[in-house]
Amino acid sequence: MRRFEAIQNIMESVTDEIVVCNLGHPSQELFAIKDRPKNFYMLGSMGMASSIGLGLAMSINEKIIVIEGDGSVLMNLGTLTTIIVNQPKNYILVIIDNEAYGSTGFQTTFTSKGINLDKIAKACDIHKTILITKEADIKEVMERILKSNDGPYCVVIKTEKGMPDNITIIPFDSITIKDRFIRSIRK
Amino acid sequence: MKGNFLTPSEKLYAKLKEHELDFFVSVPCKLLDELIKLIENDSEVISTPVTREEEGIGILTGAYLAGRRPAIILQNSGIGNCINAICSLLNYYRIPLVFITSHRGTEGEPIEAQRQMGNATKALLKAVNVKFFEISTPEELHFLDEGLNKVYAQGSSVAFLFPFSYWK
Repeated sequence: MRRFEAIQNIMESVTDEIVVCNLGHPSQELFAIKDRPKNFYMLGSMGMASSIGLGLAMSINEKIIVIEGDGSVLMNLGTLTTIIVNQPKNYILVIIDNEAYGSTGFQTTFTSKGINLDKIAKACDIHKTILITKEADIKEVMERILKSNDGPYCVVIKTEKGMPDNITIIPFDSITIKDRFIRSIRK
Repeated sequence: MKGNFLTPSEKLYAKLKEHELDFFVSVPCKLLDELIKLIENDSEVISTPVTREEEGIGILTGAYLAGRRPAIILQNSGIGNCINAICSLLNYYRIPLVFITSHRGTEGEPIEAQRQMGNATKALLKAVNVKFFEISTPEELHFLDEGLNKVYAQGSSVAFLFPFSYWK
């Protein structure tokens, strides 16, 4: 399983939830798999997806799914403690861990050197942390979590490196991404 | 509250409430202690401390997208911790945030180490195109009206710098 297949499985579980997605290839893959106004694609500010999702979760009752990467979570580890202190029940952090900075040429991250992000999340008192290593488990876990309202959850999905070669850049500019996202979530 | 007179922090918070700011993140500074307590004790607003200012920019971006009117309470040294988020998140997506900034390293600063960032703060804000207003005394709080009226109309962030003289 690559990140692409992981995101495919996540999006098969998603119905009306808000999705905030990490910059670079993850957002481009999400766009290719299932574009929708309720996807917030990041185009810069690496590490901020988990925090943007937290601000959304603290403001509205809708479920928020954040798709993060291992490199970007390592860049903003402090926010794991902010998540648990604020206890947003509607917040689901999905970390797709391919042990590499995929968008910059697949240089390895520290998760390739024995650092376990699921253990870090648990140590930050995010007790509802689930480690997934098999593609077949993703849908079942996500569907169970999305039915409940007892977050915050952290789901760490271990994947291989690499991506399909036909992934293209997102054809929207930042303002279009923001405006259609806002229109889709503000009632 | 000192007798019938509001403290500088109370005057500032009254202004923020008047402009209906309703979501705050903060990183402490000695000068911001009272303001942060006022926010944390106000059940009408959402607030949280954050571990680092950059994280705060991310959280407030989410809050803004959800329809809130957010502000970050930070020391000027924290501006340096969020330069990339200001450029590639706030400016790029036109997210209007309000920065309430204690300006250390200004006249009255007892800590020599604060002077470097103190001297660099305005140049940094200029470099990242964040309009700023200096508010040196509570009498100058009308600059806050001017800045806040623009922030949502223009969709661009604005910073308010409060040097030592404000908090006396």
